[in-house]
Amino acid sequence: MATGGRAPLTMYQYTDFDRRFVHQRAAQYRDQLERHLAGQLGTDEFRALRLQNGWYIQRHAPMLRVAVPYGELSSRQLRQLAKIAREYDVVTEGPFKGQGGYGHFTTRQNLQYNWIPLDKSADVMDLLADVDMHGIQTSGNCIRNITSDAFAGIAPDEIVDPRPYCEILRQWSTLHPEFAHLPRKFKIAVSGAEEDRAAIGWHDIGLQLKKNAAGEIGFQVLVGGGMGRTPIPGVEINAFVPWQQILVYIEAIVRCYNLAGRRDNLYKARIKILVKAEGQKFFDAVNEEFARILADDPSGHEQIIPQAELDRVKASFVDPAGVKAIAPAQLDSSDPVFARWLQRNVHGHRLSGYRAVTLSLKRVGIPPGDTDADVMDTAAALADRFSQGELRVTHRQNLVLPWVKESELADLFVAARAAGFATSNAGLLTDQIACPGGDYCALANARSLPLAAEIAERYQDPDELESLGEIDLHISGCINSCGHHHSGHIGILGVDKDGAEWYQLTLGGSDGSTLSGTTTPGKVIGPSFAADEIADAIDAVIETFKRERTQGEHFIDAVRRLGLDPFKTAANAVRVSTAKAQA
Amino acid sequence: MKFINANTCCWKHAIGEDGPKPDPDPAPNRLLTLEQWHAVKDRWPADLKVAIEFPNDADIHELAPDLHRIAMVVLDFPKWTDGRAYSQAHLLRIRHHFAGAIRARGEVLVDMMQLLARTGFDEALLRGDQSQAAAQKALDLFAPVGFYQGDVAESRPWFLRQTAA
Repeated sequence: MATGGRAPLTMYQYTDFDRRFVHQRAAQYRDQLERHLAGQLGTDEFRALRLQNGWYIQRHAPMLRVAVPYGELSSRQLRQLAKIAREYDVVTEGPFKGQGGYGHFTTRQNLQYNWIPLDKSADVMDLLADVDMHGIQTSGNCIRNITSDAFAGIAPDEIVDPRPYCEILRQWSTLHPEFAHLPRKFKIAVSGAEEDRAAIGWHDIGLQLKKNAAGEIGFQVLVGGGMGRTPIPGVEINAFVPWQQILVYIEAIVRCYNLAGRRDNLYKARIKILVKAEGQKFFDAVNEEFARILADDPSGHEQIIPQAELDRVKASFVDPAGVKAIAPAQLDSSDPVFARWLQRNVHGHRLSGYRAVTLSLKRVGIPPGDTDADVMDTAAALADRFSQGELRVTHRQNLVLPWVKESELADLFVAARAAGFATSNAGLLTDQIACPGGDYCALANARSLPLAAEIAERYQDPDELESLGEIDLHISGCINSCGHHHSGHIGILGVDKDGAEWYQLTLGGSDGSTLSGTTTPGKVIGPSFAADEIADAIDAVIETFKRERTQGEHFIDAVRRLGLDPFKTAANAVRVSTAKAQA
Repeated sequence: MKFINANTCCWKHAIGEDGPKPDPDPAPNRLLTLEQWHAVKDRWPADLKVAIEFPNDADIHELAPDLHRIAMVVLDFPKWTDGRAYSQAHLLRIRHHFAGAIRARGEVLVDMMQLLARTGFDEALLRGDQSQAAAQKALDLFAPVGFYQGDVAESRPWFLRQTAA
């Protein structure tokens, strides 16, 4: 068992340089904030600077997005995040007095606070730097925090552990001077396993680690994926870039995008639009730029990752001391509640005798991904007791304990249940993804959290949920698609009509996983539903599925087999307000 | 970084009575737009160096054959968040080994200094309301630490610098 103090040895260990760097960045931000507060730095100019440190101005207060690089978090870091929630994410006056005290884990493995006052923001950056954390490039038109598989390094189906490469990419992209003001935000995801658990096809660059016939490691590179108002899956630009050259290859892609991406229209500025417009011409430009960096640039060879550097970074990701394959434990699953938890929230592990365990952040009455300070402390304590002091943040907005001994699963279940983490719904309908929506976000057209809550309340029967099988339900409060509605088997998008909240329903989207199939956006079934109809419409879709499905058929397969019509007919039948509005 | 005062700067536009001349006569210290350069370069004396204002949406590689005749390339920031000129400067320095001056003009702000210096700019025409002292401070801020990735000023990424140290 690890103790609270230092980061466990399964995570990247900050060097003295890394530490001085994040502290210097925090000092730089403090200087910018002070100039802003003193009136020397205008609101618009400060905006782009604070964004690149994770600070948005939201509906009621600033929002801070803290980077959790590729989703790895130590208990020590989580305790610091809890301290920040408790001491800084606090509203002391005004109409929202008493709000705050929590964070929201996002689909991109980050953590967001909603109530920290801007004048305290520099103090928070210092507190983050104290535990080797930051908000660098978690927003703004730059290369964002790199995401990966929450089961990286422990998954039984892993080809290559992506974490060392993610860390090298994190360092390379951090404060890259040429790429700080791109046409639009730029997201990179890396998968190292057979199963894509990072939705790489939905990213500006998706990287899939591979081994070629000679056993050499490289990346399949996808480019041009993205959601937003024009959802487009990424396409392969290169089948195999040797790992040593990956920084150069990405430099070539981002340089071509920086120079040629559209800047005249915010909605057409993502790389996906450029890739779609230019196709092979863009690929040719990137591949030529890549070749020229290597052949012509005097410093081109210096951007090739040396084996020594990979080895240095890899040394941080060795298994924790004392952790090695052990004999499998006999599990007594006679208790059906424990058995269900084992089936749903306990996952396979590369090491015999070990498992990874989902701590569910999907609880009735609490928005998906929301975690208050006490809950963070409790999760940190569970990580110390059961998982070498390490946690992961998942794309589905849960936490994972990556190093749990099978022999301790029963004890963990008791502790997780007592703490409210044991909702056995991983992968099921109520394990929904949702953005913070119109309750907090200034961009949102509609609230996503009340709807998420309504769905959680309607589907509480664990037997019913289990019988429905795996369903990805994703809710976004607006077309920015932070709740990934495009990739949901059931996707819900908040839209604004004359100041009222409406919801568009899509079916058949995929995040690119084996279950969901090739990365694809869902299809809209008819006009939007009114706020008081949408939950019934989802019910109608689910009831149709129950009626029409074949034995054991997954929802996504049924949608593909049946097409949209039966679901559309059923959902249309519940329209009440829509009918009135259109009459 | 050299901070430029537009009024006292030695490089001057070729302005006639009706605005910029389409095809200015050769003279020392001419600051030409790209269009002017295209118009005059075939008859411009080979030993008379010019400065060229290069737009940020043109292909910087086009300038490569002329670089030996150019003392300075002025790159443009129509908005400070439009980062195309960083790539143009990088390519001029790294790909084309341009050793003349590269100047930033347009919406050039204090908090861009680090990016400018690292992509190869060595002159900055700050927007009128910007403080040169603050700009110098911004330039020096990371000097004691350094950066992860290589850049024009220091081509070695940190991983090469630390093993060399």
